[in-house]
Amino acid sequence: MALLFGQFVGGLTTAMFLFLIASGLSLVFGVMRVLNFAHGSFYMVGAYLAWQVVQWLAPMAGSFWVAALAAALGVALLGGLAERFLLRHLYGREELYQLLFTYALVLILGDVAKAIWGTQQLSVSRPAILDGGVDLLGTTLPFYNLFIVLLGPAIAIAVWLGLTRTPVGRMVRAAALDREMLGALGANVGAIYTGMFMLSSFLAGLSGALVTPIESIVPGMDVEIIVEAFIVVVIGGMGSFWGTFLGSVIYGQVLSFGILVFPSFSIFSVFALMAVILIVRPWGLLGRPIR
Amino acid sequence: MIRRLMLSAIFVTAGVLPFAASAADTIKIGFPMPLSGPAAVYGVPVTKGAEIAVAEINANGGVLGRKLEILSRDSKANADEAVRVARELVLKDNVDFLSGTLTSAEAPAVSTIAKENKIVFVAPVAKSTQLTAPANLHPYIFRISSNTDIEGRSGASIMAKWTDVKRVATIAPDYAYGRDGAGAFVARMKKLRPDIEIVDQQWPKLGQSDFTAFITAQMGAKPDAVYCDVFGGDFVTLAKQAAPLGYFKAIANRLVDGGEVGAVDEAQALGADYPYGIWSDAYDPVIWPVGEPPEHKKFVEQLKTGMKSEYGSGWAIQGYSAIVAIADGIKKAGSTDSDKVSKALLGLTFDTPVGKRTINATTHETESGEFWGQMVKDDHYPFATIKDPKYYDATVYGN
Repeated sequence: MALLFGQFVGGLTTAMFLFLIASGLSLVFGVMRVLNFAHGSFYMVGAYLAWQVVQWLAPMAGSFWVAALAAALGVALLGGLAERFLLRHLYGREELYQLLFTYALVLILGDVAKAIWGTQQLSVSRPAILDGGVDLLGTTLPFYNLFIVLLGPAIAIAVWLGLTRTPVGRMVRAAALDREMLGALGANVGAIYTGMFMLSSFLAGLSGALVTPIESIVPGMDVEIIVEAFIVVVIGGMGSFWGTFLGSVIYGQVLSFGILVFPSFSIFSVFALMAVILIVRPWGLLGRPIR
Repeated sequence: MIRRLMLSAIFVTAGVLPFAASAADTIKIGFPMPLSGPAAVYGVPVTKGAEIAVAEINANGGVLGRKLEILSRDSKANADEAVRVARELVLKDNVDFLSGTLTSAEAPAVSTIAKENKIVFVAPVAKSTQLTAPANLHPYIFRISSNTDIEGRSGASIMAKWTDVKRVATIAPDYAYGRDGAGAFVARMKKLRPDIEIVDQQWPKLGQSDFTAFITAQMGAKPDAVYCDVFGGDFVTLAKQAAPLGYFKAIANRLVDGGEVGAVDEAQALGADYPYGIWSDAYDPVIWPVGEPPEHKKFVEQLKTGMKSEYGSGWAIQGYSAIVAIADGIKKAGSTDSDKVSKALLGLTFDTPVGKRTINATTHETESGEFWGQMVKDDHYPFATIKDPKYYDATVYGN
């Protein structure tokens, strides 16, 4: 019993980390129809920036939280610049150009990070306030993991409320449906796109920063994570925000219980799940068939 | 007449010059290594170690009056890419020898290129026993590092001494290195301690970003001790996720890791988050409080300067040793001819900063153990160090 509960919470932690990252990817695809390969690179830059700021502020109390916020804002700025001055020129063209562009960003940011921070693995300690854990039903739940498990749904709800209940959100949804019509009605579509891309980059940078206390920061973490993020976005349905949330939860639980049942095929279970879902519902769990 | 003389003079010089030039030419060693991506963490220091060896040998007049030169290439830790650059090094750059490669995927692939082109290839790091298994052995392949058998068996001999341990689990990356290493450990452990039960085996992938579910599943099997082959950045991730879950506490830090996490690299990355008290190994302890050989001290100083790093790396020694082996092989053969050097390397004993090493004439493997010890807090450093690093001799623990 304790074991099952432990696996469940473990899977939930995995899921929420993944959701933090995949949410930005899903948003940009849903609204802008851009498959942003560089999302993982923004995540990586967020992790490195957070490490850097922690180094600068080292002995200060709460330095981790300042660093996380600074990293997220820094990456949002980076994303905003990339969208405003580069990606914007590619909207009218074939999707292949956007794909190539974001892939180029992956290579460029990877090399830039290597030039600045080198190839050694780096690490950030857990913030003191969330250092311990609590024993529940025979399992230890680290406070930091609990924080992430709560933060995931909080961000999901905040973004959902923002999209459905605010005037800006209405504009964003309109832009997703018909960009040209919205432009013709006098709305500043360019600003909406830049804003969305910055929000997505902010989420990438934030998740990169928040992952540093539980993961090593190494070159290549960008490519590693983008694959997993794509899997949950695809399972959930391309462009469906709640689909991504659901996809993350399923991914986490399948991985977690797959390990318990077939320890030798732990990774396989996740890919098997994706294959089955794509055969039954090629458009993903909450996605809509493309006409 | 004069014109004809001049012409023939030109022909003669043209014919002689390349020959003369090649005599004074450098001896080229192709060195494919992961210099980008996650594996660059090791590829860069191993390459640096090789460069230090080359600089040292050249400063002492080179080999057979010729200087050594390293042609460093990025293999991207990918077998196909390693083969591509190795082929290019042989066919286009006309290298005299091949060394380099990091993973147990790249090295066997490059070994086939060495066999095809009859050119000596000295693998500094790859550990999978497959590289030099009888079916894959050929006259031109040599290995500097320890192998998964030696590593797993050394780990078993350490854990076998913990008499109250009855339930053992393993966790290792899901590819050749992890499967072979954990396999060797389990086989030896069953022999040394038939009373022990293997209660759980986890296989996370290489580059796993979230170990939580693997850790909780393993804790559910209630092991007394764990053999681990998770290494590098993955170990940093594992340690940081396992500690708050109470993993190390549940096994009283009785974990033996064969993945060189005793190296200063991982210790430095983890700092105070290191699971102090576990046992691990290193190619080179780097920080060596008692009984440090003077050559080692000198090597580490050069390494720190070369890497512009405060503490160096436990991996650089492998690149250094590979170059020394090649240079000594050339000296012994009195030639750079690959057939002659390959014969000279059989049974060759060469000096490294961590002691003498001998290449076994039948297996083509360097009898190379590793330095093992408990990871403890040392007040001189802000991270864990190996307490009294002990050399586990390959000739003893490899059999």
